[in-house]
Amino acid sequence: MSTPVSEPLNKQLSAAVSKPRRRPIRFPWLLVYAIGYLIFLYLPVLLLPLFSFNDGTIVAFPMKGFTLKWYAQLGEQDTLLQAMVNSLIVGAVTALVATSLGLFAARAYVRYRFKGRELSEGLVMLPLVIPGIIVASSMLVLFISLGLKPSLTTVILGHVFVALPFAVSIMKSAFDDFDQSLEEAAFDLGESVIGTFRRVTLPIVAPGIVASLLVTFTVSFDEFVLAFFLSGNQPTLPVYIWSQIRFPAKLPNTLALGSLLLLASVLLLLTAEYFRRRSAKSA
Amino acid sequence: MTTQNIIEISGVEKRFGTFTAVRDLNLTLKEGEFFSLLGPSGCGKTTALRMIAGFQDHDAGSIRIGGQDMEHIPANKRPTNMVFQSYAIFPHLNVGDNVAFGLRKLKLGKAETEERVAEALEMVELGGLQSRKATELSGGQRQRVALARALVMRPKVLLLDEPLSALDKNLREAMQFEMRRLQQKLGITFVMVTHDQYEAMTMSDRIGVMFKGQLKQVDKPEVLYARPCSQEVAAFIGGMNFLDAAVTGEVNGKLHADLQGFGPLSIDVNPNVARRGPQLLAGIRPEQLEISAQKPDGYDGYLQGTVTNAAFYGENVHYHVTTDGLSQPIAVSVPNYFHTVDHKQGDPVWLGVQNASVIDLGAREA
Repeated sequence: MSTPVSEPLNKQLSAAVSKPRRRPIRFPWLLVYAIGYLIFLYLPVLLLPLFSFNDGTIVAFPMKGFTLKWYAQLGEQDTLLQAMVNSLIVGAVTALVATSLGLFAARAYVRYRFKGRELSEGLVMLPLVIPGIIVASSMLVLFISLGLKPSLTTVILGHVFVALPFAVSIMKSAFDDFDQSLEEAAFDLGESVIGTFRRVTLPIVAPGIVASLLVTFTVSFDEFVLAFFLSGNQPTLPVYIWSQIRFPAKLPNTLALGSLLLLASVLLLLTAEYFRRRSAKSA
Repeated sequence: MTTQNIIEISGVEKRFGTFTAVRDLNLTLKEGEFFSLLGPSGCGKTTALRMIAGFQDHDAGSIRIGGQDMEHIPANKRPTNMVFQSYAIFPHLNVGDNVAFGLRKLKLGKAETEERVAEALEMVELGGLQSRKATELSGGQRQRVALARALVMRPKVLLLDEPLSALDKNLREAMQFEMRRLQQKLGITFVMVTHDQYEAMTMSDRIGVMFKGQLKQVDKPEVLYARPCSQEVAAFIGGMNFLDAAVTGEVNGKLHADLQGFGPLSIDVNPNVARRGPQLLAGIRPEQLEISAQKPDGYDGYLQGTVTNAAFYGENVHYHVTTDGLSQPIAVSVPNYFHTVDHKQGDPVWLGVQNASVIDLGAREA
């Protein structure tokens, strides 16, 4: 407590503390810009749930009254429920297939140096830059010439194609911080190749797998162009919503549905973030 | 008591494309031996260790462990276990599960597994830490867990890849003695790869020195230090003054030679020397030289010179002494008795050397 502080140090300290006070107060342009940007970005999204409670079919102010009937009606619409089920099936299968393929591809890309590695990595990433409409129409031509009728199967095949780059890049970053000697150590301790994969590789890249599943599911759930071309008479949810939006009477239902999807995706995101933080803490 | 050969390596070669990482490796290790492979980085010592472990195939020759040929036997079926340089502690398992990892495959009962894990942790002085998370361990503790995880398998041979290089100096020195004690208690053969000569010398029964894929010399630490087989081995282990000498004759295993700066001396023929030439290269360890202001009594060769550098190292004092006709100053190391540096830069001094302190190193290397 009684340690003497030298005079110059004292002066330096007080100078450092008082410096910000002397700065002139300026108009916070940056803050205004940031708030304006956020409003522009999210206000339309917030209008969606707002009008889903509006007792009227016209989406305009002033609002007429509060109602939950649009939500209640959702449960009675069989085609909507069927489209929802279709989307869930497509999303789940796409997530599983793309993530499994991505897991093995990423491990090979990170671990081994083989001929054509860079070329194949480039090809895997290509769907990110090819226009969806090109992919969709060429796939439709391809599947029909192969005798595959448009169905959920063809949608899944298309979605795996577009979701794979996401799965591969997420899994690659999971393998990047993975010490190769961990697998060698397991093998050295008598474990088989498959046992090593199951007991060491999988648990360690598990957070990456969860992240990849969530992202590829979202990519598929959202996707419209491919689904529109390839789904035939089994529409996914985006295709169904698009078909409904032409009928003004159905619009409030679509808003209710959209609000529910918004809520679900926020919850999904929070869950993913929770798992990500937990895995980051343990690593 | 006869000790069996546990590892027999003959004519082993390993190539990566056009690069030969290990060439014509011949090595026989006895049961219960602590053996170190010492060499600079990239000399092929880690590749040799990984071939013994089974992580790498050999292109020629044979490796036998416990009398059994290891050709086509993968790492998970070999009677060896490894301590990795990074320790490779499984981050998703606690200490107990890390140590029990290999035991699960042996299908022992739960009680026996737990008993062996406890015993192994006790051995490395981590008793009772079974439920500690792997991510909460310090560097030294990780090293101990890696040791316990390998030793719990009761391997015939324990392989260690630079096991102490990730630890700080004090911890490293403590672990050197502890690992040596553990190895002697268990009687398991340890094969360690290191680039640290002191580590190799303090821990090993025998050391193999490797350069550019070739095993140059295998000997006990003191023999390696006193009778290195060549200039490069001598230069890698400890300090050494290299001096040219002209041989005038050889009588009863002694070379009579005129040593640069020191004059005529009688040098023991070094049986380990691999290559001889017209000119003899002699070596003198810095600590084997006497340094004095007056001509000291009882030495076989003398040199009069000037101190060009004096440095206090704590446990000893280092001098550089030069004289006309020497291309390199001679390094001298004197134990620190009185915390003083007796000779200053520019002082004239005498150096004295005994016949027995001069090492025959064969031909000078280009």
